[in-house]
Amino acid sequence: MATPNRTHALPGAFADLLPPRFGLREVLDAREASIVAVLVVMATALSIAYPQFRTLDNVNNILLAVAQVAIVGVGMTMVIITGGIDVSVGSALSVCAVVVGMRLQDGAGVLEAIVVAIAVGTAIGLVNGLLIGLGRVHSIIITFGMLNILRVVSFKLTGGKWLSGVPNTVNYFGSGTLLKLPFAWWIAMAMAAVAWYYMRRRPTGRHLYALGGNPETARLAGVGVLKRTIFVYTITGTLVGVASLVFVGGAGSVIQTAQVGIGFELDVIAAVVIGGTSILGGKGSVIGTLLGAILVGTIRNALVVVNVNSLYSNLILGCLILLTVALDLLRRRGRLA
Amino acid sequence: MIDLVARRPRPQISWPAVLRFLLVERTALLVILLGGLIAFYASTAQDFFTFSNLAGSTAFGVEVGILALAELIVIVTGRGAIDLSVGSTVSLASVFFGELVTKFGLSLWPAIILTLLFGFGLGSINGFFVAVAGLPALIVTLATLFAFSSVALVITNTIPISDVPPRLYDLALYWHQIPRQTLLVYLPVIALIYVLLRFTVYGRHLYGLGTNALAARFAATPVVLARFGAFAISGFLCGVVAIVTSARFASARPDAGVGLELQAITIAVLGGVAITGGVGAVPPVVLATLLITLNNNGMNLSNIDQIWQQAALGGILIGSALLNAFALRRYRLS
Repeated sequence: MATPNRTHALPGAFADLLPPRFGLREVLDAREASIVAVLVVMATALSIAYPQFRTLDNVNNILLAVAQVAIVGVGMTMVIITGGIDVSVGSALSVCAVVVGMRLQDGAGVLEAIVVAIAVGTAIGLVNGLLIGLGRVHSIIITFGMLNILRVVSFKLTGGKWLSGVPNTVNYFGSGTLLKLPFAWWIAMAMAAVAWYYMRRRPTGRHLYALGGNPETARLAGVGVLKRTIFVYTITGTLVGVASLVFVGGAGSVIQTAQVGIGFELDVIAAVVIGGTSILGGKGSVIGTLLGAILVGTIRNALVVVNVNSLYSNLILGCLILLTVALDLLRRRGRLA
Repeated sequence: MIDLVARRPRPQISWPAVLRFLLVERTALLVILLGGLIAFYASTAQDFFTFSNLAGSTAFGVEVGILALAELIVIVTGRGAIDLSVGSTVSLASVFFGELVTKFGLSLWPAIILTLLFGFGLGSINGFFVAVAGLPALIVTLATLFAFSSVALVITNTIPISDVPPRLYDLALYWHQIPRQTLLVYLPVIALIYVLLRFTVYGRHLYGLGTNALAARFAATPVVLARFGAFAISGFLCGVVAIVTSARFASARPDAGVGLELQAITIAVLGGVAITGGVGAVPPVVLATLLITLNNNGMNLSNIDQIWQQAALGGILIGSALLNAFALRRYRLS
């Protein structure tokens, strides 16, 4: 007897929990395909109308600008897949960036900067995870509170002043290129690859989807709900630490404390949601998030190229989020019906 | 040693019972906290415990107090309902009001009425996406938070509209040291919302919806309409706040509502509104408003850097949310 095909051995309701197959239908059906289509159409139109859009420099500008969004987006994807959300990433980024900047001012080397950034980010994420996991409070409330507390922390660390004269020790993270692509973007892709493997192929990675699909069922099925919850917020914190290196590397010698990471959480959440991760949890992929981040970056870049008032960009991003979430729900309903 | 003689039944005052009382009766807990807070600042901060200061400081609680009531109405409907867009709605409604009285030269009262309707309309946008289209409130109001503030900034090009009619400032004057907006706006709004939630069929529908939406549907609750209404009322209250804030600053500012959503949600949660829906009432939310407002006032008078107020808010939000969750689990309220 042949080994039973796992995908068909379970009723359809559990299909989401299993690694997907890669048939033609899946590819066409996947959100990734539609984002690529939108990107191609946008890029073609902009390249024809505005020649400056299609230069390698501009492409690298876009990738560099969204590298931080993509890196943190990988963690945010995991958080949202478990049914949570983390709105504190912008403030956490500013705390990490300020601490790293201050260490660099004191003459820290690259290695110390990396260690400090990751340690601070992970610690912040761990606090989020513990409060949400142990306190069993909805993540929006905890991370909303943390958003404000962390903002005060970064303000107090510098006494409200800008950091100036930051040495260019970690500039490679922010502006270096490797094989003609920004180094930061390679980091993002590496993080996404690891996360993709973990979420597709590791049992505990699959648990994240189970948790988002139905936490109570997941618990009864033996998923370590508390452990997974703490894990996703902690890893998001770690990735914020990594992103802060990219930020400090790209910021040059001055860090404007109060401005760091303002609105960053919207970009990250937009990238994740546009990338096809369901805000209700239980569904999504990091590949979609990378593409979503590129789309967000392309739109912001296009507004500059086309010379639209930059005040409009949040309006357009807000509408885009609403549109994609609406489409996602319509599609879900169509399937259920 | 064992006392077998019939005991006089005494009211049992044990620590678990006291704890239970304080956790279940949020009003009692807040009254005690408020007493402690007033006693603390009265003894440490000069000029805190005077009638003019206590009454005058309520002026700063009117805006967030009304928005906290808006959050109460929205959050109580459950299913993760929350309105993150209240701050931006206030900003956009302020700008709308400012444009009406300056560019379109409308007189005060028609402009006020149109602004209230405009707020209602903005809330209806949220209501449409959440109730009719069925999208999660969190993502809808996060999107409109950015969209509305973006529109407010674009319309004014980030410059406040300062030539509003002087008659508007009358609202920010005092009556026997009591701010007029407290008397003329806040107290009536409290009374109206209290009656709405407590004594009208619609108000009871909101609680039913938040406790169990499916059961409410079987009980013939107009679920979609009720949920839509909650967001629309929230938008309407944002319109009210837009007028009050324009009067207080004597200008319509495109950033009038920045950060107000944090304060409003913090106050609602401190006031015992459960984020899971179905639990919450007007009196504790009003007490929580008083607590936050007086704490900010006390911190100002104690010369504590204003930035700490933001940290205190964040901490209070997390602390009271943990407390709510603990109380709900332990005593199975809902």
